[in-house]
Amino acid sequence: MDLDDGYGEAMRRVQVRFTTKLQSPLRVSPTSIAIPSNLTRKGLSVIVNNLLKAVNSDWEPQPFDFLVDDELIRMSLEEFLLAKGISAEKILEIEYIKAVAPRKQEPPCLHDDWVSAISGANSSLIMTGSYDGFGRMWKTGGLCTHILEGHTGAITSVCMVNPKGLESSTSLCVATASKDRTLRLWKFDSELSIGHPSKVRSYKTLNGHKSSVQSIAAHPYGAMVCSGSWDSTINLWRTNESDADGDSTSIKKRKVDNDTRESQSESEALSSFVGHTQCVSSVVWQQEEAIYSASWDHSIRRWDVETGKDSFNLFCGKALNCLDVGGESSALIAAGGSDPVLRIWDPRKPGSLAPVFQFSSHSSWISACKWHDQSWFHLVSASYDGKVMLWDLRTAWPVAVIDLHKDKVLCVDWWKGDSVISGGADAKLCISSEVSIS
Amino acid sequence: MRVANGLVLGDSAKEEMEETKNNDDNVKKNELNHKQGVDDEEPRNLVLNAASNLEEATLDGEAETNQRVEESDSSEDEVAPRNTVGDVPLKWYKDEEHIGYDITGKKIKKQARKDMLDSFLAGVDNSKNWRKIYDEYNDEEVELTKQETGLIRRLLKGKTPHEEVDPYAPYVDWFVWDDAKHPLSNAPEPKRRFIPSKWENKKVVELVRAIRRGDIKLDKPKEESRLYLLWGDDSSSAEKAPGINYIPAPKPKLAGHEESYNPSVEYIPTKEEIDSYKQMYEEDRPKFIPRRFESLRNVPAYENAIKESFDRCLDLYLCPRTRKKRVNIDPESLKPKLPSRKDLKPYPSKCYFEYKGHKDAVRSISVEPSGQWLASGSNDGTVRIWEVETGRCIRIWEVGEGVQCVAWNPMTGLTILAVAVGSDVLLLNTGIGDDEEQDKIKKLLHVEATSVANHSDHNASLVDWLQHDKYEGIRMRFLKTVTSVEWHRKGDYFSTVMPGGDSRGILIHLLSKKLTQKFSFKQHGIPVATKFHPSRSYIFIATKKAVRVYDLLKQKLMRKLEPSLREVSSIAVHPSGDNVIVGSREGKLCWFDMDLSPQPYRKLECHPKDITNVAFHQSYPLFASCSEDSTSYVFHGMVYSDLNQNPLIVPLEILRGHAATNGRGVLDCAFHPRQPWLFTAGSDSVIKLYCH
Repeated sequence: MDLDDGYGEAMRRVQVRFTTKLQSPLRVSPTSIAIPSNLTRKGLSVIVNNLLKAVNSDWEPQPFDFLVDDELIRMSLEEFLLAKGISAEKILEIEYIKAVAPRKQEPPCLHDDWVSAISGANSSLIMTGSYDGFGRMWKTGGLCTHILEGHTGAITSVCMVNPKGLESSTSLCVATASKDRTLRLWKFDSELSIGHPSKVRSYKTLNGHKSSVQSIAAHPYGAMVCSGSWDSTINLWRTNESDADGDSTSIKKRKVDNDTRESQSESEALSSFVGHTQCVSSVVWQQEEAIYSASWDHSIRRWDVETGKDSFNLFCGKALNCLDVGGESSALIAAGGSDPVLRIWDPRKPGSLAPVFQFSSHSSWISACKWHDQSWFHLVSASYDGKVMLWDLRTAWPVAVIDLHKDKVLCVDWWKGDSVISGGADAKLCISSEVSIS
Repeated sequence: MRVANGLVLGDSAKEEMEETKNNDDNVKKNELNHKQGVDDEEPRNLVLNAASNLEEATLDGEAETNQRVEESDSSEDEVAPRNTVGDVPLKWYKDEEHIGYDITGKKIKKQARKDMLDSFLAGVDNSKNWRKIYDEYNDEEVELTKQETGLIRRLLKGKTPHEEVDPYAPYVDWFVWDDAKHPLSNAPEPKRRFIPSKWENKKVVELVRAIRRGDIKLDKPKEESRLYLLWGDDSSSAEKAPGINYIPAPKPKLAGHEESYNPSVEYIPTKEEIDSYKQMYEEDRPKFIPRRFESLRNVPAYENAIKESFDRCLDLYLCPRTRKKRVNIDPESLKPKLPSRKDLKPYPSKCYFEYKGHKDAVRSISVEPSGQWLASGSNDGTVRIWEVETGRCIRIWEVGEGVQCVAWNPMTGLTILAVAVGSDVLLLNTGIGDDEEQDKIKKLLHVEATSVANHSDHNASLVDWLQHDKYEGIRMRFLKTVTSVEWHRKGDYFSTVMPGGDSRGILIHLLSKKLTQKFSFKQHGIPVATKFHPSRSYIFIATKKAVRVYDLLKQKLMRKLEPSLREVSSIAVHPSGDNVIVGSREGKLCWFDMDLSPQPYRKLECHPKDITNVAFHQSYPLFASCSEDSTSYVFHGMVYSDLNQNPLIVPLEILRGHAATNGRGVLDCAFHPRQPWLFTAGSDSVIKLYCH
């Protein structure tokens, strides 16, 4: 391939060798080649695609992303080497990965009102919560399968509750939080609906918050849910139908519930964590023993579930809207708030409370952020500027910008590991699929 | 060595022998001399002393040993002079045959002087000649040894004469201090160490007395230097010159080459040039045309001399007798030292999103005390409630007329919104809060028909309390337009301002009893706004000219603040209650510290147009003003609990973004109660949120 035909002698060349961890059809021969140093990611991608085509003649070109010393190349190769102080004399090892960008857009699922909450924890169904007070379950292709009726206020947060050993079954248990100061628990069969969306009523209403409930998170094994509210408390609730009885009776009751869809049980909070001084905007419950919470009082806290004490307190300086814990060994904390900067802290780092990463390409408040649950490097963020951005920790630029919404994006999540789902103030649920994260 | 001496000096020894016989008295002296000679064991000495020291060999050695012991303390280097004449000028012996006398009193003969030429030749041959020194006193030639030259060299260099001496040897403290268990002296500290010295005291008294008497003068009289710069700068001496206003003449320019009486040819203008000068304007014409003279004698008198001195006199006569004093100060240094803006974070600085929905200018905004909801009233006749965090409008009331003012009840849980519309005040139930709270609100907002009748009898002229016919709430009917509603901190009382209401301009209402009462003080001027004191039972009433503070319990005027502004438009009270800011129609902002004086502590001229509202933050040290020029200013206003420290006011940020519509800009501003955020309502029907 003659990339350097028209450029003349002045162009500098770099000896590179392409390596990859991808599987064999995507692998190029590990011989070193000389390439012009002013190539950007696109140029490198063309080279790799051409190399692959030389081996396999019916190769479909696809975009790649390139790593040098675990850092993504985001300018021309020459500038990158200069900026990082890497010598161009030696043979440069460039690792390539599949570019992380959505390749396909599914048709948007239209709602009646703002989509304020989303969950992609279930691989077959997407759950959304809307300002009209209904929760909805969606299948691919914009098909609404269930409508969860019951809340009298806007739904602010939804989550899937996965009881132990119920992953395989078609029965689904979800929890929703609403501005009507209640949480509701729902149970239904995901395979049941045919044709028009079936209506579901909640089997349990959790009362106790004095103000609108902002966020909800389920216990990793589904035994409990926790919720953060505008009354600056975090409450813990049991998910099983009866607090005192054993499992057998609860199953019996559940059957009754499913048949009649009438009886509703109410329950009080198991315990309450007090410590935040303002609205608790986000809670995360990933490990069994610890709940992370973010609040408008500018702090992120970790609560010990057993004792109810906050064992860790991180002060940020901005009112926080969203929080997620993930990344390397599920320890990094990502949070966004009342400014366009997505910050990531590493609480394992002793002494310093400064964020380890700051991503500031958004232009308005960040409303949601989520780590990819398999990758250590990838996370997605949504902002009121109407954009969803995909981030890789190895570069300060967003790897992809999804600009599908016409108004504020209020919620975002990953779905099935390769799709980004987002809902916004334009009452749409947008699905961008085929994001290849190796 | 001694043997060698004897052998070498054989002939002269005999002569000496004769002399000893002649002078027996000198024998003993000679012995002494000999002893000294013995000390000096250097060969050169022996060679030269041989004549006088003949006896050395003959006289026995026992005396030697005796004297050696006696003179043990004498220096080794010291050489006794052979000549005993002492320290007399040597020229006395110049013409004599001898140079003096030895210790025995014998004449020491001068040695035959060598011919200069011979000595020179001898010197040339002898490479050691440079070492030889002629000793005039002893009449001998001394040849310096190597060590001696070495010594001299070292001395010349300023070093120690002996090489082995190390002047900078490290100090060795031979005494071992570590193990000293006991002090050197075990005696107790003597008493004299502890009492003031009597002697010193006496001396001091003596000195003091001497100073008093004037014997000792402490400050020396200043000596004026008798030398001064004769040709020093004229102007400086002129300034010090006596006389009230001496004004020195301006310094003339120094003369150049062309002003010489005989300048070079190139300076002299040609005929044409001189002609061209004549055609120029008088101002442009050169003042001086160089001319050439053969000699200095031919130079005529200066033609302008009289004219110039006359002009100078005129100048002095006519010039103003005041001297302009220039102060040489860097204007930057006059600015007060303010902390940098970075240190005063957080403060609202950037607008991240807007609350859009109103169709006309937004007149008034109010934030719910928890900070979750925002209420706004607009000229389009609607009141809206917004969710602060998402910007969603959750409720709209159509009230028909342009809304003048909205105000949330400051009690948390009592989500009642007071709205001033035209000549009505509406108390609306916003429907936020749980059932318990809703019950309470519904009870509060219920007006019984009978009570209305009763009140209409009693004070029908004041206000009618009615149930609102369309929305859940109360409608209060006033006589004239109500411009402002202000809640008391406990959420039960509220005050309304009716600028056209004369004596009923300010009314105070009690929500729980649906009562209205007149404000019991005489009104001075047209009221603009009222504020309740955040902790005490005071009320601030701003009229167009002044702000008065009344105590509602004691029913008396507490204070009157005089902003001396053209027209007061708004007022805000610091949460501590002792500081007030007042905005005016001419764009000035006054900060009053009520403990200091009724005059403004600071007057900030910030806006080019009317200030529409001013606001304090509840918890952060911030205040803001918004204006018709479509900007809002954010200030840092720190009030210290220390009464000695005046409030610190630092301008922080100018917030722009609103578009001017119909010549109006930002109409209202309000701080978020818990976050350092500012809401501004603009005439462009947008509410903006500025975050930190």
